[in-house]
Amino acid sequence: MSYAILSVKNLSVSVGSRSAIKDLNLEVFNNTVFYLLGPNGVGKTTLLRAVIGYPGYTISSGAIYFEGEDVTDKPMEYRVSKGLAIAHQIPPKLVGLRVADLLNMLCKKSGCAVSDVAKDMEITHLLHREFGKGFSGGELKRVEIATLLAQRPRLALVDEPDTGVDVDSIEIIARGLKKLVELSPHKSIVIVTHTAFIARYIEPDVTCILLNGSIARCGDSELLYKVLRYGFKSLA
Amino acid sequence: MGLRAWLEDVRDRASRALSKPSPYGLDVDVSPFLSIPEARAGGKLDVARAEEVGVNLKANAIYIQIDQTYFNYLSRIPGVEVLRIEDFVDQRPDEAQEYFWRLIDPAKDKYTALAALKGRGGYFIRVKKGVKVEEPIMACLFMSYGGLQAPHNIVIVEEGADATVYTGCTIAPEVLGLHVGISEFYVSKNAKLRFIMVHSWNRVAHVRPRTIVSVGEGGEYVSYYVNMARVRTLQTYPVVYLAAEAKAFLASILLGLGDAEIDVGSGVHIHGDNSGAELISRALARDESRIVMRAQIVGEGISKGHIDCRGLMLSEKAFIQTIPELIAKSPNVTLTHEASIGRIAEDEINYLVSKGFSKDEAISALVRGFASIEIKGVPEKVKSYIESIEKVLSEKAL
Repeated sequence: MSYAILSVKNLSVSVGSRSAIKDLNLEVFNNTVFYLLGPNGVGKTTLLRAVIGYPGYTISSGAIYFEGEDVTDKPMEYRVSKGLAIAHQIPPKLVGLRVADLLNMLCKKSGCAVSDVAKDMEITHLLHREFGKGFSGGELKRVEIATLLAQRPRLALVDEPDTGVDVDSIEIIARGLKKLVELSPHKSIVIVTHTAFIARYIEPDVTCILLNGSIARCGDSELLYKVLRYGFKSLA
Repeated sequence: MGLRAWLEDVRDRASRALSKPSPYGLDVDVSPFLSIPEARAGGKLDVARAEEVGVNLKANAIYIQIDQTYFNYLSRIPGVEVLRIEDFVDQRPDEAQEYFWRLIDPAKDKYTALAALKGRGGYFIRVKKGVKVEEPIMACLFMSYGGLQAPHNIVIVEEGADATVYTGCTIAPEVLGLHVGISEFYVSKNAKLRFIMVHSWNRVAHVRPRTIVSVGEGGEYVSYYVNMARVRTLQTYPVVYLAAEAKAFLASILLGLGDAEIDVGSGVHIHGDNSGAELISRALARDESRIVMRAQIVGEGISKGHIDCRGLMLSEKAFIQTIPELIAKSPNVTLTHEASIGRIAEDEINYLVSKGFSKDEAISALVRGFASIEIKGVPEKVKSYIESIEKVLSEKAL
């Protein structure tokens, strides 16, 4: 049976005085690897952050439903407690906080084993390093996906997992994303990308294109390959 | 010059320096402490406070001093000697003459002078050649009545030996005291000393420790200093002298509470080739506290050094200043520093909330992270003491 896990209805979002998302609609169903594609600066990160409830992203109209519940006015803390989770494009450096400390705290809540998570994302050698300090692009992304694996979310929103990442890391990240799909009771995930490199390793079921703050088109995996071949301009 | 003449010389120089202020820190009038007639006896150790600063009173090698009158010490660890400083001076005058007031000038400032004239007690610790001690050698300096406490500590780690000395200093609530700990440490060739000092004073206490460390060829000195509670004024500036192939790592974590005036620095003079120093300090300033973090590395020969000072502002009225100094006396010296001061970044809090933490949990984790400094090669037992101290300090910072 097919059902919507995440529904975004007529959503408009502003960041400061700038309107970034305009009257946007989308639905993410169960058993779906959902790709959101778009060139730089069209509002992909804004949309993910608005869905998770990140401070500074103001919803001026519309609604967000997660597992049927209207979470539009709920704070981020609540949405995360309900099972939504985000992998940030560029996580901040956390002074003095070691990767192991953070994963330990997350695993205490979810019941996972830090060693398993570290092994899955091949970050065992980073566990005793300060979070984010001196990491390569690939290491930073792998650690960020590891935080999601440690959270065991019901639906993961993954922002640009393939930007600034070497080929070997992309493969590891894709493995992590597949695991997140397995862990999700809905067997779904949302992946935002502008390069779509990651699509070579984890196939899309649904692809939507975001242009100028609105969904321009949705389709299946063919749409993603069309974009890869002809670029976003062909859809404008 | 024999020991007696040397001690007379020390006293003579000290008596002429009693009005000499320290270049750093708030000036404290020492005259009331000079005129105190006899040290008051009968003070009792507050076990809970001693444990709060991480002292294990059941340790196999320990020195306990209460005020300037009660001393208890023992060592059940083979190859480790623990004595009261007066016993060391009486029993081994030739050695005492070699080590007592040799690194620190009694006329350095009014506080060293006061300690030279009025100080009592302090530990003499010797770790014999080649002896490696996993268990920390403990010391507890407790002030129950206030007044002056000025112990003189000497630590000698002989060639190839390896030890950790853990000193917890604390005071009864509300008693007015001046603590001037004089510490002269000798780390011999290829020896290693880890020195951990945890301070927990009260809102009226003045603290002026004076420490100098000499590290021989191939030796290593690791220091970890924490001020974890209120204090009225605190000023210290330990200095380490490194010979060739030697290393120094000095970490300070300073919590400023109330109206505390804290001025803590550390300096390393690298004299030999292929030596290195790393100075790390973290200041957490709450309320109306003022914290100055100083750090200086002087490099000669082929040497490397790095300073890392970071301050966390936890109040609108607090003050933090960092003063890192790098001095090269040779083109073969590589010295670097980084310094930053700020509040907890909103983005870091939001990031952790997006990972499922409450806002309070996120702030607590970030403060804890800020206050933790990784010290490589610390024995597990010592690590657990440090972790519990960092936890308590973070809780007090919030």
